[in-house]
Amino acid sequence: MWLPFLGLLIGLILGFLTDIRVSEHYAPYLSIAVLAALDTLAGGSRAYLENQFDEKVFITGFFTNIFLAAGLAFLGVHLGVDLYLAAIFAFGVRLFKNIAVIRRLLLSKWK
Amino acid sequence: MKKIPVIFACVTLIIGYMAAVQFQSHAEPETRDTRNMAELRQALMAEKERQQELNEEISRQQEILNQLEETEDVEDVMADVIENLQEQAGLTEVTGEGLVIQIDLEFDHNYTGGAISSIPPYLLRLLINDLNIQGAEHIAVGNERIVSTTAIREANGRTLVNGNWLSYFPVEIKVITNDPESLHHAIMSSQSREMFLYENMNFSSNPVNSLTLPAFDKNYRTRFMEPVQEGS
Repeated sequence: MWLPFLGLLIGLILGFLTDIRVSEHYAPYLSIAVLAALDTLAGGSRAYLENQFDEKVFITGFFTNIFLAAGLAFLGVHLGVDLYLAAIFAFGVRLFKNIAVIRRLLLSKWK
Repeated sequence: MKKIPVIFACVTLIIGYMAAVQFQSHAEPETRDTRNMAELRQALMAEKERQQELNEEISRQQEILNQLEETEDVEDVMADVIENLQEQAGLTEVTGEGLVIQIDLEFDHNYTGGAISSIPPYLLRLLINDLNIQGAEHIAVGNERIVSTTAIREANGRTLVNGNWLSYFPVEIKVITNDPESLHHAIMSSQSREMFLYENMNFSSNPVNSLTLPAFDKNYRTRFMEPVQEGS
């Protein structure tokens, strides 16, 4: 249970230690990728709690979501339409939904 | 089933990494300090000089305070202080060694512009700033003493100093300084001289052993200060 948190901690430390900076130009892509990753994580946790977890689906979903989101943002920039808003909206809504389901599942387990 | 936490850990690691990079890119300050070693040293020197000036000021004030405390006759000390302050403010005539700068027109053969009636205010300000930077103590342009509230501006194409017309060419600027020779060299090779040349003017400076600067003959206009009433 604590392993994911350890991973998060190590990731943060690695990120701060490597001192990599993305230019302001690419910052939106990264932020949307973070959002996509969080969404996948929430989806995976939910599937795990529902005992429907499939690691292949999870891993492929993780990378596809990230690249799709970044690609959509990229396309939006080049078309002059804020397409990244679509990604943010979709991921945001799903994130909240998944977290709500997780909360219910945890509550029912705790009872 | 043991694999699942590991997969989650990998994913959270990637998320953490991305979040950290994102955070770091945004946490970068807006304006970066891009001064190099020499500029930093210069800034440090300027600060040290300022510190020294402040220290000197403190010791001078301390000395005055001691005098006031020691002597029975406070009035003499006060008179001294007032005289000193008046001299600093430019309200008295001052005599000393210094520099006489003469500004005159200088046209080349293919000059086609119109007549030049006076020195543009920005040039005069530039020159005065240059003089102050190079260590001038008292400055007078023509018969006008430059004090801290002196206004140099233009009205109807002519330049006013302290509200009076600047005389026609040649214009004489008198400067009192401790080291006329070095000020002379500094000002003759200064950037302001180049700017004067662009405007078809040139100046020459002569160090002199003794010159007298007129006093500031108007009232200081103090708009945002008022004396503190004793006991209030």
